[in-house]
Amino acid sequence: MNKEPNLTLKIATEKTFTQCKDAIFNQLHEFGGAWIFLTKILRTFKKTSGHRDAIIQQIAEVSTRTMSTVIFAGLFVGAILVLQFDVMLRRFDAQSLLGGLNTSATIREIGPLIISFLLAGKIGAFTTAELANMRVTEQIDAIESLGTNSIQYLIIPRFIAIILSSVVLLAIGLSVSVFGAIIVAQIFSGINIYQYISSIPRFAGGWTLFEGLVRSILFSTVVATISTFKGYTATGGARGVGKAVTQAAIYINVYIVITNFISSSILEWIHDLLYFSISIVERIFL
Amino acid sequence: MISTEAFKKHLRTLFLALQLLQKLFKQLSTGPHRKNETLSAIENIGIGSLPIISIATGFTGLVMTSEIAWHMDFALSNVSMIPGFTGQFVLRELGIAVPAMLIVSKVGASMTAELASMRITEQLDAFKLLKIDVVSYHIFPRWVACTISTICLTLISITITLMIAMFTAVTKYHFNSQEYLNTLAQFINSMDLICAITKATVFGMIIPPIACAYGLKCEGGAQGVGQATTDAVVTATLAVIIIDFILTAFFSALL
Amino acid sequence: MSIRFQNVYKAFAEKQILDGVSFQVNAGEILFILGKSGMGKSVTLKHIIGVLEPDQGKIFVDEFEVSSMHTYDQKDELTLVRQRCGMVFQHPALLDSLTNFENVAFGLRTPQYRKKIGRTLTEEEINAIVLKTIKLVHVNEDTLPLKPYEVSYGVQKRISMARTLAPGPEYLLFDEPTTGLDPLSTSSINKLIFELSRKLKVTSIIVSHDMACALSIADQILFLDQGKVLLCAPPKEVIHSTIPLVQDFFKETMSLLPPNWSLKA
Repeated sequence: MNKEPNLTLKIATEKTFTQCKDAIFNQLHEFGGAWIFLTKILRTFKKTSGHRDAIIQQIAEVSTRTMSTVIFAGLFVGAILVLQFDVMLRRFDAQSLLGGLNTSATIREIGPLIISFLLAGKIGAFTTAELANMRVTEQIDAIESLGTNSIQYLIIPRFIAIILSSVVLLAIGLSVSVFGAIIVAQIFSGINIYQYISSIPRFAGGWTLFEGLVRSILFSTVVATISTFKGYTATGGARGVGKAVTQAAIYINVYIVITNFISSSILEWIHDLLYFSISIVERIFL
Repeated sequence: MISTEAFKKHLRTLFLALQLLQKLFKQLSTGPHRKNETLSAIENIGIGSLPIISIATGFTGLVMTSEIAWHMDFALSNVSMIPGFTGQFVLRELGIAVPAMLIVSKVGASMTAELASMRITEQLDAFKLLKIDVVSYHIFPRWVACTISTICLTLISITITLMIAMFTAVTKYHFNSQEYLNTLAQFINSMDLICAITKATVFGMIIPPIACAYGLKCEGGAQGVGQATTDAVVTATLAVIIIDFILTAFFSALL
Repeated sequence: MSIRFQNVYKAFAEKQILDGVSFQVNAGEILFILGKSGMGKSVTLKHIIGVLEPDQGKIFVDEFEVSSMHTYDQKDELTLVRQRCGMVFQHPALLDSLTNFENVAFGLRTPQYRKKIGRTLTEEEINAIVLKTIKLVHVNEDTLPLKPYEVSYGVQKRISMARTLAPGPEYLLFDEPTTGLDPLSTSSINKLIFELSRKLKVTSIIVSHDMACALSIADQILFLDQGKVLLCAPPKEVIHSTIPLVQDFFKETMSLLPPNWSLKA
């Protein structure tokens, strides 16, 4: 009798251990697969030419499909953040700083993150669904069997188009969210619009915009890579399409969050380095 | 941008989601409550999403809290306010919205994909023939499980993010951890916690009906499954953002 | 001029699909691959055009060893092989974004086809080839400007066959060409395969469940079971085979056929 609970515990521990090990190996497998796929896309892109028309067509498709959603979301993201910051700043009587603080935080960090989550759903899931459907109905095999490189024909136009249009869409979304914040600040907190705008330059300058741009490019690369990879490697009928889309949605979000962390560490380091060298230059010449 | 036909379809699906929500509330009050299915759904949804949500909110917290801290330091040139600011921001917004969006793409998307592939493989028709109500049998346990899991996951992710915020404050701004907690306690009250739990409950309640409505309305083969899942993720994310705005406005007026 | 399999092994996630498969098809022959569902018949076909890569063993198409060419990587030899082989898939697999005409013309617009004939085809020439090909598969011209999902399943299958035929392949691989079709379309597609191999000397490999059709037009019949080749023989020998599975197949088929049915001359 005394042995049994120990045995059960041991089995349970072993089971948990194997599950964790499997999960970690699975993740590494996924990551490696996506990475190899990305290098394959880039290699094929270097070797082949004549993508322009297909890319333009894809850009038009992606941006018309996503524009309204991004504008809508941007408006509300700005509004939420301005309300939160307003409550926080009210305690310190520092509401005059609201404009700058909110704009800087929106453009640098929170805006790109939340709008990218939305793009992951809209662009990423759609691309995965489209490619996975082509894969399970053997359309990709058919393209291959007719002697056309399917990566060149299907993946590269989508990949480039997603990156280019996501950057533009993020820029539009962020501008809208700044605009939405102004309106909400006016209505809900009764802050003077001039006061709001005049405090922006104190916080948000060229570096803020640069950081927002770098993040946008990185996030859209994540969206493009994972969605095309998951769609291209889908298997197993309608259920397989659903599985691919679900996995793409969640993996894109997780990878975006991790990319966000890595990029902000590196950007902070570059920022410090830049200001350090500027101060040295100033000290030498002035 | 959006054709009127597609817009009407979205509206019809949202209407179906509202009807589902009404049915689910009715079943919540009258039963059957299907405890066993609910428990296994909690294991599937809650425990299944735990690792991914902890990792993702952890990384987000790491970046966001240091960012907010930096902004506040820059704006007020006063480091002593950092615990209050980061703590408040985590409790009111960050610790709630980020897990909600991850739950949309993890739980919501798989619910839609499951129901949609059930529909196109005619399993739902088979249910109808067997006189099994798909709402009561299939959706209700997942709805309850998703609501409970969202509350728990939100609380867990708030805890993780707060710990990370403390870690940031201790390492970057040289706070003592005891000092940090004391300052935090001054800024946070039970109202913040109530706000967090209310938001989490509402998000957990609206995600499954939207996801399931898109799954039930799915049409046309493998392509239809993909389309339904995409639409569900986007609509649910937008719904989370909009409801977040409404609740934030409500609570900030209350405070 | 032949397709050869030498001891090919392939497994998907622990499940052994092909377990030492060897066979050979010579020029102008029709080979039928028969077997129960899920026994690796379609997988065998996909190996020939290099969409799948074997775990072990060698596959030759003419002088090229397909098995050593890396899958999905753009290798010139693999492109050459794919140009010689035309594959008709189980599902029509037409590209949804293109019209039926563009689908048939897809293979004529690829750079590989341009390299093969040494010049770019003019639009009139493409038009002529497309019209000629769809006449071959008995498809009406009116369906050409439509999108694939706007025509019936049978027409989709024929258009997908026309797409494969248009660039003029030397080998034709059919993956269940008649599944899901009405009896009339089935018999006309079977006739078409027979005509192609006799008139144009096209070598065909056909994966099917249809024993009656196999007995009437095949030169060789290959039975696959549990990833192994049970039997590879001409129809006459198949009828007299003593292997249980083959006998079962034959009995079931005979029970469906009219009493005065006989083997083709």
